[in-house]
Amino acid sequence: MLVLALAMSACGKSTKAGGTATVLFGTAPDSLDPGMAYTTQALEPDQTAYIPMLTYAHVAGTAGGKLIPGLATALPTISADGKTYTMTMRHGLVFSNGRPVKASNFTYAVERALKIPWGGSSFITDNVVGSEAFASGSAKSISGITADDATGQITIKLKAPYGAFDNVLAFPSFAPVPKGTPFKNEPTNPPPGVGPYKITNIVPNVSYQVVRNPYWAKEAIPGIPSGSLNTINAKISSNTTANALAVLGNSADVFDFADTIPPSILAQVPSRASGRYEKVIKNSTYYFFMNTKTKPFSSELARRAVIVGLDRNAIARLGSGFFTPACHLLPPGIIGHPTGPCPYGDPTKPELAKAQALVKESGMAGTPVTVWGEMRSPRRQFVDYYTSFLNQIGFKATEKIIADATYFPTIGNLKLNPQTGFADWNEDFPNPIDFYGILIAGDAILPTNNQNFSQVNDPVINAKVNTLGSLYKVPTSSLSSVASQWQALDEYTSKKAYTAVFGYASFPKLASNRLDFSAAVLHTVFGWDWLTFKLK
Amino acid sequence: MVIDSGTSATGTEFSSGIPTELLGEARERASGLGPYQLAWWRLRRNRAALAFGAVFLLVLVLCLLAPVYAHDIAHTGPNDNHITQTVKVGGKLEDVVNSIGLPIGPTWHSRFFLGADTNGRDVAVRLLYGGRNSLEVGIVATLITMVLATIVGVVAGYSGGLLDGLLTRALDVIWAYPVVILGVALGAILAVSGIDVGFVKLKGSSLMVPAVVIGIVYVPYVAKPVRGQVLGLREREFIEAARVQGQGTLRIMFSELLPNVGSTVIVFVPLMLANAVLLEAGLSYLGAGVQPPNPSWGTMIADGISSIPAAIHLVLVPGIMLVLAVLSINVFGDGVRDALDPRAKIRIGR
Repeated sequence: MLVLALAMSACGKSTKAGGTATVLFGTAPDSLDPGMAYTTQALEPDQTAYIPMLTYAHVAGTAGGKLIPGLATALPTISADGKTYTMTMRHGLVFSNGRPVKASNFTYAVERALKIPWGGSSFITDNVVGSEAFASGSAKSISGITADDATGQITIKLKAPYGAFDNVLAFPSFAPVPKGTPFKNEPTNPPPGVGPYKITNIVPNVSYQVVRNPYWAKEAIPGIPSGSLNTINAKISSNTTANALAVLGNSADVFDFADTIPPSILAQVPSRASGRYEKVIKNSTYYFFMNTKTKPFSSELARRAVIVGLDRNAIARLGSGFFTPACHLLPPGIIGHPTGPCPYGDPTKPELAKAQALVKESGMAGTPVTVWGEMRSPRRQFVDYYTSFLNQIGFKATEKIIADATYFPTIGNLKLNPQTGFADWNEDFPNPIDFYGILIAGDAILPTNNQNFSQVNDPVINAKVNTLGSLYKVPTSSLSSVASQWQALDEYTSKKAYTAVFGYASFPKLASNRLDFSAAVLHTVFGWDWLTFKLK
Repeated sequence: MVIDSGTSATGTEFSSGIPTELLGEARERASGLGPYQLAWWRLRRNRAALAFGAVFLLVLVLCLLAPVYAHDIAHTGPNDNHITQTVKVGGKLEDVVNSIGLPIGPTWHSRFFLGADTNGRDVAVRLLYGGRNSLEVGIVATLITMVLATIVGVVAGYSGGLLDGLLTRALDVIWAYPVVILGVALGAILAVSGIDVGFVKLKGSSLMVPAVVIGIVYVPYVAKPVRGQVLGLREREFIEAARVQGQGTLRIMFSELLPNVGSTVIVFVPLMLANAVLLEAGLSYLGAGVQPPNPSWGTMIADGISSIPAAIHLVLVPGIMLVLAVLSINVFGDGVRDALDPRAKIRIGR
């Protein structure tokens, strides 16, 4: 210890283990139950309590996109035909309730996520043999997954090769949970998991705590930090100004990266938070979805009108300068991002008159449009602008603003059939299929928790997504070989005007001066990586 | 509240006995003025009430002139965004909204007289339109409250028995919930689903949704006193006389009881209006009242909160207007109450 202390002081920097930090969120998690969790606000704490079979390196930058074994002993072996994945569960693992973990707990977690159903369940139903039958209730188990509790071996059979399947295995939603956990969302009583921490004291939409899991075997899993803090308090308050001021004033420790620092205090942040604030680029796309199944956006001309006339500079200002105006679905950090110009002109030069003419030409002028949005700033302001813009170009638009926590589940209900509204996507993993497989592919249209809000079901896209999704086995190494094909597909999507992409976001990394800022990672996949938090 | 005078169908004026300290009032009555003429005479003597009444009238007229101001002076609508435009202030061009999203403050010119909000909308235009919306919601809500409360209060008080029990318990149920929580709950649900009950069909974004919500949650606050007054009145001789004359229940309620609770109802009108405007602002602030992008003073304050302190005008301007409107209604309402019944003590809200 003395040697360690001396070494640390010699480096001129010291951190202390233990202690408590407070993370402030502007929006509540959709659910802390891993079987339901899909928003960044939920996945951040879940990553600490539900280690999946595979996970990502706990480092900053693009290196954080590298897959490493989680509860599996090694990365899966993939058969020559790319359709069979085999991996082995580590021995000696226990849940946070002290019960032993078996290989079949993985199968149970997958089944549970399908039944709840989790928003990304199409990753399984589209790919794993027998999963659709299980999800629909016509089978009692997923025939394509076998687990041997004695050896810990898990075998997964795919319908067709799917290169990003090992990324799918890294979702906390498929982290093992005890058998008998109800097949329903348990937002206030999430199941035990395997991870350095467990989630407790949940007051919905208000607060929760992440505390040490007493059964976590230290250093049991190489590459996964055990976490330095004893407790992490998460508090939810929609007043992001107060949240930012609290972190600036060091009365709280972490500002949620997904929140926007309000412009009123943004100017003072660089000086007040010198050394503990920076803008970090993550792979994300912000857009307005346009429902292709209902008027007026069933008309391609009407959709083009939106894309042509949208003032992305205005939106960038509403976003306090954290947005780069754009038109393509795939962000620059994702392979397949088109390098060519936007099909309908410079996105920073809106053409209002042309947009008005296109609306007239489409025959949709005067069509009533309900624009959906959520309350938090600046997303509300984006929708205010968008509604005003739609009225300017000839539609009859009104707004429907609903609470942040219920926004995506609400517009994801297919029965509601929302016409248009705000949407965004932060990568689950650094792969274009994560964007296309969920947001655009026809298979991704789900009755609930739908993310393909535009309800795009284009045979060209569907075929290409299937082909490209199965072309490679190791995504990071083979993706570049199909980059041009992804580029062509993204250009096609932009040309069909399925979504009105308005920008790519950068995010504020802001922490208190209590926290070791250089050690804390704003991870490309996880968001804030809570396992890297340390007090100075 | 004590109401001790009224006029029967037969024209007889009743009095439960005037205490000596109210001899002045007796003298006023002796002047031969009717109760409402007497009230008007008293109100005219209350200069503070009249002054604040005039302030309220001014606010009302200004808000009613919002379209004129928007069209002829500011040349922009309440929901028109001008985020990337510039405006000339002191001879030089300035961004309406700067690159980090901060809006321009008051220019004191016809455009953006009181500045812009974060969406580059003219604050003065939105203030006036917001006032129209706030007052419209407040006035409709007050009407709903007064009509429903009077009907419920008179019916419950006069009929007694099971019907009285049911109506009173229903009022108790509404009363049991804090007004704001009940308003938020109803407002949040109805803002999404709208109202579709029989011939009443309202879209979730309609201004009438918060008006209905506010109108309903305040019913017990008026219905209970009205019922209490009717309970006393129904035992009085003039009601007995009407019954003996063969008048039906409905006729007794509308011809005999209603005129006698009129002054009570009138006293409540300004008080309820002030409360309704305040509650509307509260609900809109919380997202359960007037739906965006439509302005109301409450939504404007909510929108401006995130811009404090850099663009404090976004909160100050609607806040001052709200205080002015509610204060003027309240002071004028107190004057009306004093004029109608100098001994009454009324308190609304919990």
